[in-house]
Amino acid sequence: MNGLGDLVIETRALTKRYGDSIVAVDHLDLRVRRGEVYGFLGPNGAGKTTTLRMLLGLVRPSSGRVAVLGFPPGAPQGLARIGAMVEAPAFYPYLSGRDNLRVLAGHARVGEDRVEAVLDEVRLTDRAADRSRTYSLGMKQRLGVAAALLKDPELLILDEPTNGLDPAGMAEMRDFIRSLAKGGRTVVLSSHLMGEVELVTDRVGVIRDGALVAEGTVAELRGRAGLRVRAEPLAAAARLIRAVPDVDEVTSVDGLLDVTVDTARAPAINRVLVEAGIAVSELYAQKASLEHVFLELTRSEGESS
Amino acid sequence: MTRNVTAELLVLRKRAATWILLGIWTFLGVFFAYVVPYALDPEDAPGGVEQFFPESLAGTLLAGFPFFGGVFALMLGVFALGSEYGWGTLKTLFIQRPGRLRVLVAKLAALAIALVPFVLALFAAGAVASYVIAQIEGAPISWPSGWLLVRAMAAGWLILAVWAALGVLLGVLTRGTSLAIGIGILYALVIEGLLSAFADSVTVLEPLTNVFLRANGYSIATALGASTQNIESNGPGSFSGPFVDSPQAVAVLAALIAAFAALSALLLRHRDVA
Repeated sequence: MNGLGDLVIETRALTKRYGDSIVAVDHLDLRVRRGEVYGFLGPNGAGKTTTLRMLLGLVRPSSGRVAVLGFPPGAPQGLARIGAMVEAPAFYPYLSGRDNLRVLAGHARVGEDRVEAVLDEVRLTDRAADRSRTYSLGMKQRLGVAAALLKDPELLILDEPTNGLDPAGMAEMRDFIRSLAKGGRTVVLSSHLMGEVELVTDRVGVIRDGALVAEGTVAELRGRAGLRVRAEPLAAAARLIRAVPDVDEVTSVDGLLDVTVDTARAPAINRVLVEAGIAVSELYAQKASLEHVFLELTRSEGESS
Repeated sequence: MTRNVTAELLVLRKRAATWILLGIWTFLGVFFAYVVPYALDPEDAPGGVEQFFPESLAGTLLAGFPFFGGVFALMLGVFALGSEYGWGTLKTLFIQRPGRLRVLVAKLAALAIALVPFVLALFAAGAVASYVIAQIEGAPISWPSGWLLVRAMAAGWLILAVWAALGVLLGVLTRGTSLAIGIGILYALVIEGLLSAFADSVTVLEPLTNVFLRANGYSIATALGASTQNIESNGPGSFSGPFVDSPQAVAVLAALIAAFAALSALLLRHRDVA
């Protein structure tokens, strides 16, 4: 899988099993392009963190192939160009923020001048001499981001970077992620918070039960939501729309019909209704929020049936 | 590698546990080697009152390394790796540049360096204690040769190093500290202690005891002047033989260090890091 060209991350049929019964990641095909902010979405337990750990070489895949920056996961050549924060940032509690970064800089073989630079970048210089155990959650997150930035990496992997932050902290982190993406850096952002993903990502992959269930730009994913129809009689209209090919679901909400279908099918639906003598007073594309799409995509099969 | 080791030395140097262990080890080492036996009845000491004089410094101190010192080194080794699992810092290190084996080698090297002050501090404190006792007894001050002291300190370091390497292995194996220390002390007290005691009567156990840390550690200690009587009455860490030749003991301890390090590397390299 060398010679990835524009792809920074590529996985093929990436699978992680724990024992015979638990499949944490199931034949995942993931492609992250150079310079994009890629949102990796999924509910808790969907396999996001396991996937990221496999990308970083912390967890070994059961099967499948992975290349990160053209190297196998965990290869020093690749890691030298990757900055990452996986789950809660972990530091030596008795060391100061600065000393924690000095330890990491030593292992990463980057100059100690980078320590001060990243402390300044995440605005932790004032507390850098304090032990990391005294830091608030938000400060620990910022120290985690500082650690990820030490190598001035081409690829930044951030797993739930706004976990535990207050609204102001979340907004600050979103701005920060946006600024990180400037200058051609690739950012993979894992989250289950739709708001932050919607605001900062170029493309999104949605994972459910370890498998990728959707991938595209935020606009593309939101476009999947479908149509809203006001018609009389409503029950007959619903029955007719359900029979239209490619319609996934029709639900009645407050005298309207929510139709889950590609919005390109609007003319066909309109024609069916009009030809059946149904009075159609409204028919418009209803773009769902990313959260709505996410909930639809990640709803378990049992719930959707 | 220098920068990796320097980074690990910072981790060890700034950790309070390192200094607490060093302080307790030095204090108790002198306390049990000099203060208690001298205060009780120096004439009845296994080596007589002379064992407290500067000339016996190497042997008197080395007698405490194979068991008592071993437990301290074991804890230091466990803390060096086991704590990383508890704090989650292992994953932070592994996603830096170096690769897992490089991190382990840096940690082992830093640990090996950190053991040097443990040896030096005890010998320095022991020298002071022996000097004071000699003054009290009105005995002439006669120090062991520099060469003997160097060899004794090197032997002490080797004995501590093998226990520290065992601690590292247990820390990696159990991915933590509490169970690792528990198993380590269980091994030191129960497994080695009991089997060594039974080896006198159960001859089939004798070859096994020859690779024990205790047997080889005490063999080196006696070769450098530790009294066998003193070792036999060494409380829970006592040992009554059989002793092995000191070159063999050095080789066995070195081989054990290599084996513990290799097993740790194997586990670290192949296991997932949560």
